[in-house]
Amino acid sequence: MELLVASAIGILTAAGLYLVMRLRTFPVIMGISLLTYAVNVFLFASGRLTVGAPPILTDATSYADPLPQALVLTAIVISFGMTAVVVMIALGAYLGADDDSVNDPVDPADTKAGDAS
Amino acid sequence: MTHWIILPVILPAILAPFIVLAARYHIGIQRVFSIAGVLALIVVAAGLAWQASDGTITLYQLGDWAAPFGIVLVADRLSTMMVLLTSVLGLFVLLYAIGSGWDDRGRHFHALFQFQLMGIMGAFLTGDLFNLFVFFEVLLIASYGLMIHAGGNVRLRAGVQYVLFNLLGSTLFLFALGAIYAETGTLNMADLAGRVSLISEDASVGIRIASVMLLMVFAIKAAVVPLHFWLPSSYAEAPAPVAALFAIMTKVGAYAIIRIYTLVFGPDVAVTEGLHGLWLLPAALVSLAIGMVGVLAARKLDRLVAFSVIGSMGMVMVAISMFTADSIAAALYYMVHSTLAAAALFLISDMVRAGRLNLNLTAMPIISGAALTSALFFAAAIAMTGLPPLSGFIGKLLILDAALDTPLATWIWAIILCSSLISIVGFARAGSTLFWKAKSVPIPEDRLIEPAPAVLSYVAVSGLLALLVAHTVLAGPIYAYTQATSAQLFAPAPYLEKVLETPGKLSKPKEGQ
Amino acid sequence: MSLFLIVALPFLGALLPGLMISAGRQACAGITFTVTLAAFIGLLTNLPAVLAGEVVTTGINWMPTLGLNVNLMLDGLGFFFALLILGIGLLIITYARFYLAREDNMGEFFTYLLLFQGAMVGIVLSDNILLLLIFWELTSLSSFLLIGYWKHLPEGRQGARMALTVTGMGGLALIGGMLILGNIVGSFDLSVILQSKDIIQESPLYLPALILILIGCFTKSAQFPFHFWLPHAMAAPTPVSAYLHSATMVKAGIFLMARLWPVLSGTPEWFVIVTTAGLVTMVLGAVIALFKHDLKALLAFSTVSHLGLITMLLGTGTAFGAMAAVFHILNHATFKAALFMSAGIIDHETHTRDIRRLGGLRHLMPITFVIASVAALSMAGIPLLNGFLSKEMMLEEANHTVLFNTPWLVPGLAVLGSLFSAAYCFRLIGHTFMGPKRDDYPAKPHDPPAGLWLPPALLVVLVVVIGCAPFVAEPFVKLVTASVLGDAAEVPKAYFKIWHGLVPALYMSIVAVVGGLIALALFNPLLRMWDAAPRPEAKTIFEALIAAAVALARSLIHTLHNGAFSRYAAIAAVTITAVSYHAWTTGTVGPATRVMQPAGPVEIAGWAMLVAATCGLAFMHRNRLLSLILIGIVGLMVSVGFVFFSAPDLAMTQITVEVVTIILLLLALNFLPNTTPIESTVLHRTRDVVVAIAGGAATFAMSYHFLLRDAVTSPISEFHLANSYKGGGGTNVVNVILVDFRGFDTFGEIIVLGIAALLIYALTETLLGGPVRARLLNRVPDQPRSGASHPMMMVVMTRVIMPVVLLVGFYIFLRGHNEPGGGFIAGLVVSIAFVMQYMASGFSWTSARLRYPYHGVIGAGVLIAGLTGIGSWFVGKPFLTSDFTYVRIPPFQEFELATAALFDLGVFLAVVGAVMLSLESFSRLARRAHVKDSEHPMDIDPSRDPLDDMTPTKEGV
Repeated sequence: MELLVASAIGILTAAGLYLVMRLRTFPVIMGISLLTYAVNVFLFASGRLTVGAPPILTDATSYADPLPQALVLTAIVISFGMTAVVVMIALGAYLGADDDSVNDPVDPADTKAGDAS
Repeated sequence: MTHWIILPVILPAILAPFIVLAARYHIGIQRVFSIAGVLALIVVAAGLAWQASDGTITLYQLGDWAAPFGIVLVADRLSTMMVLLTSVLGLFVLLYAIGSGWDDRGRHFHALFQFQLMGIMGAFLTGDLFNLFVFFEVLLIASYGLMIHAGGNVRLRAGVQYVLFNLLGSTLFLFALGAIYAETGTLNMADLAGRVSLISEDASVGIRIASVMLLMVFAIKAAVVPLHFWLPSSYAEAPAPVAALFAIMTKVGAYAIIRIYTLVFGPDVAVTEGLHGLWLLPAALVSLAIGMVGVLAARKLDRLVAFSVIGSMGMVMVAISMFTADSIAAALYYMVHSTLAAAALFLISDMVRAGRLNLNLTAMPIISGAALTSALFFAAAIAMTGLPPLSGFIGKLLILDAALDTPLATWIWAIILCSSLISIVGFARAGSTLFWKAKSVPIPEDRLIEPAPAVLSYVAVSGLLALLVAHTVLAGPIYAYTQATSAQLFAPAPYLEKVLETPGKLSKPKEGQ
Repeated sequence: MSLFLIVALPFLGALLPGLMISAGRQACAGITFTVTLAAFIGLLTNLPAVLAGEVVTTGINWMPTLGLNVNLMLDGLGFFFALLILGIGLLIITYARFYLAREDNMGEFFTYLLLFQGAMVGIVLSDNILLLLIFWELTSLSSFLLIGYWKHLPEGRQGARMALTVTGMGGLALIGGMLILGNIVGSFDLSVILQSKDIIQESPLYLPALILILIGCFTKSAQFPFHFWLPHAMAAPTPVSAYLHSATMVKAGIFLMARLWPVLSGTPEWFVIVTTAGLVTMVLGAVIALFKHDLKALLAFSTVSHLGLITMLLGTGTAFGAMAAVFHILNHATFKAALFMSAGIIDHETHTRDIRRLGGLRHLMPITFVIASVAALSMAGIPLLNGFLSKEMMLEEANHTVLFNTPWLVPGLAVLGSLFSAAYCFRLIGHTFMGPKRDDYPAKPHDPPAGLWLPPALLVVLVVVIGCAPFVAEPFVKLVTASVLGDAAEVPKAYFKIWHGLVPALYMSIVAVVGGLIALALFNPLLRMWDAAPRPEAKTIFEALIAAAVALARSLIHTLHNGAFSRYAAIAAVTITAVSYHAWTTGTVGPATRVMQPAGPVEIAGWAMLVAATCGLAFMHRNRLLSLILIGIVGLMVSVGFVFFSAPDLAMTQITVEVVTIILLLLALNFLPNTTPIESTVLHRTRDVVVAIAGGAATFAMSYHFLLRDAVTSPISEFHLANSYKGGGGTNVVNVILVDFRGFDTFGEIIVLGIAALLIYALTETLLGGPVRARLLNRVPDQPRSGASHPMMMVVMTRVIMPVVLLVGFYIFLRGHNEPGGGFIAGLVVSIAFVMQYMASGFSWTSARLRYPYHGVIGAGVLIAGLTGIGSWFVGKPFLTSDFTYVRIPPFQEFELATAALFDLGVFLAVVGAVMLSLESFSRLARRAHVKDSEHPMDIDPSRDPLDDMTPTKEGV
């Protein structure tokens, strides 16, 4: 089980990183979301994995660690806000320049300086 | 039960939604509330600093829960000093924003400004790592809003990169927090310090990796090369007052490094032995060099200032990464200086726009209000390049002096001195082109007369420079204070005791130790 | 007068000229003169003490911990220099008042001049070497301003920058040297340093300190190889050249060498470096000076040469050498300042400084002729003038100096130097004043008003007096020498007299003078040779160096910061992975303390699905709609995982957030292109794959490591489990943590949401107010729209569901404290309900029926949360302290009222407001993009009379 979760985190991270290095905003945002999933799962897993013992107080003896769950919940909501914002800004940039690539267009002056040296 | 310590967080947090609710459409009222709020902040911050100046550590248990189970705010010399600096900076930046009318070029400037202050204050005051994360997010998202204030294509694109890079940073922060909780089962800084000491050296990987990840999170904030790439374009494209306010945000990273790596992963902690200095010092030296070379290379004034910020952060980090009482004291002194100087420079670079098409460092017809603006630029440049008589010079002396008996002394000295020379050349070229060469360019007849910057703008900038002068004249007492501060950091026992021994709701003392 | 006042007066006075200029040039110059005079008199009041051999000191602590204190001292040497600075300053101010043209801003000029004066006096009166550093750099800055005074002249700007760069470099070296010196001695006070010769010279750091300090001195005093900046500083107005660049500032380096002479000199290193530099500079300067046609350039190089002479004398390290140096400083200051002023007069009257265009001026400007010639002859070393005396002493000293074990070297070069020096002096007189009167002067020359010739005349009087009656100067020079030597050596007994008998020095100066005359006779052939000879032009080299540096910097910085986020991200990822890997490998891995839990087929199936969706996303991300679906699946699987690992709250939050996010992304995709083009090269993609896999592997290893090990001690959450009900009054521990234990996090978090919404709203406003709006208005949807985008079925469904969903939301909110649920989830559910209305019936229909402004909702939410927290202040508890009670209203069963629930209400409102405001902003963009929106709940409505349904098919969100 641990192996599954750990590998899931790894794969999510890898895919996320790959997408983050794309050239258009949309895939980059997708990548960020994947990374968010990965880190949320990791943060959640920092309370270790417990099956069938939700932290709702009953007369049970052991519960899953509630703190990481609370942290992840906060993290999820925050990252939702962040995603909304970045989508909006990216959209604004696209609508303004009619171009949705993340990288700045190459400034001819710079290449000139490069040749000068 | 004193509630003063939480006011720097709550005041803006209540004021901002109030502004949104009540004064959404009246810029005038917004301004009044904003100014009043910042003034109140200054008073509170001064009170806190005065309270902490004798070494008292004030603890505030939110929800009355004792650390480490609840969140605590801690006010010691360091945090109150930073809070005071932030609020004072906030005032002059706000004055400029109002004077130059920047705040009216988009919506919700003042609300976002207050939220920004709230985030920074919280980050300085909190004693809990995850809460630090939350405040990082608050100040970040507010900064996104401020950065793209008033829109514009270039600015938005820069904004996209800025946000994306910081999202990566936040992700890393969460990874670090997860690792720390998994390893130690706590989030409170003081408690963490205790638990790290329990970790045996033959199972040290977990905490080591956690500590370097955390270090890199803060290094991103502090714009340490090679994690600094987010800074140049975002600071250069941000509205001037916003960039000036951002001058404190890089210091948040520096603050966090000072805090965590003296309190939790101090130089004497065995398990994380030889990790931080190893990476930080070379990186800081490179940042210093890159920053000042960037000053020489810059083709636009705002870029030049942005790179000088990287450089001066490099300087701060050089001092910090020596992790000695003297070097931290020097770093704190320099930090105040570089915040004020950078802010002033950003504001001045905005004044230079008066009557110029752009900020390219090419000769154009002389700008309106050149005489005064150039004088201010000269003073601010002197400060930033660390020439006498302003505090940059004293800060440089302090850092050089602190570095004298470190193993890498020669390198540190060489790079600091050379980079200051480079920055002097860079600023001299820029200044003489902007203000001197301009006099040889004829003013075209069809040029419409640009008004000189508003008086309020000049007041704001002069105020910052006046603070720099005060920082110089009072260098003696101020340095004595930063020395006391760093002494307090290197003797964390009272801090730990205060945080962990104070009982709260339903908690018996000594619980969870 | 107090030393503080002497130093402070010029600085304080610097404010006045700027103010007085409005009262006229006379007043402006007058006030400047008065200020300087006051300082001068103040200095003289200390004369008795100095003559009595006392050292006047005063000081206040500035930064005692660093050793930087405002300690001033006045001894012979300091007095001597202060006298030169202020005395010549008075003459220069008088001169400048008549020299400056009407269009020059005199206030600015005198302000800079006084700043410089103060800094210079500060240097010579400092008792603390760090304080000295400060004044030192201040002189560089003020000279920068003065050289660049005529801002419109390019050579002025270049000269200023060059001077600042070179002297600035020296200043930085000096900082290093002084800090080392101070750390060797353990104090930065000269009074202490001057006592610790042995400690300094035995320290291993002596050489580095010496070299750094000498770099500082050489750059300031224009010693080879840093001599090149001085001639270009001549772009400054002549008063400045006369004052800074001949009489005072360039002597600062000499002063410092003299100041530290007792502790630094006497070692072979000092002797070799200083003497060599001095000799080379002396000869080089003299030779170049001879061939300069610009009067000021000639004088500049002669200054360089004479500074070299003085440096050489200090280098020998003998008491006699020091005395000769002091004497020559005095003499040089007198005749050189006079010469510069004369050059200025000539420039002022004839409008040229080019010697080739001058000549025969003696008839036209007799007064200037006399002044200039006497000064020049003194510089040439003609008897009965003061230059002769000190030059004799120099040659005398040179005779006894053996460098590199070649006895003839120093004397030979000394003679050569004096020869050329004599030659250019003769040329100055000959080619400027002698010869036939010309008729092609740019202007009609005649003697200037007294204001211009009196100051140099005064100096020339001194030249003659000292020259004829050396014994007048002798006691003073010896006094100064004594304070230079300190207790390192005895003041030599030698007397100053004109006739020493037939000593070698006499022959040497005869050779020099005669040789000088011959050289002048042969000037034209020599000049041809000189012009033919290839020689490096310092300025071009310097400019090329700077240009190269800038180009290098640019290529470095701009290639590094090329604005490519994808590369920045890659660099960050690599850095983070590498550093973490290093931390990992240098640590030790402890044994696993937990056993791996078995995984059933179901779990594996779920895992497989997640992995499949993720990889699919990575591979098929170009199809954006598909990638949205895939990411939805990923989110779904993650929330399923949360359920499975006993985190119901998380699962609910995740799933609801998922829905909202997808809607949001759909709205965005409505504008963005539907596919991502293939741009990055295969190489790039392979690079990215490698980086990504490395990062993934790292996180995998880390997670796996932690999952199999326990925390070092029991986690704090045990306390939460134990006290959630007792202290928080709730059985859902996660919720209690959110609203109580760590309510502050939640507070920050709803603020994040609120800000996000405000930001999105603000940006929408900006966009719609800007050029984007037009583009949106005439934008054609890239996909055909359905005829009935508000289908009746959906409308009816949503209407029916609406109350149900709201009820569910309310229920989730209430139960939150004890069962999975809470403010967030409730908020999200409710907002989804609203969104469904938007989707069903379009934007305007819904918003027309929605009475609450979302700003208000957000604000209210945050305020409620905040005020709930503040509420606890009134019961003397900290922020956010919760309280709860159980009430029982029959017939209902007992239920709980908690302040936490109120806080949660704030959360709820903030979430609803934030989500709705964001979605609304997005759809407002969309709305602008479409034709007018339907006012009807649904497009095809059987209950509506088709006749009044004139509206065409509508498009909603």
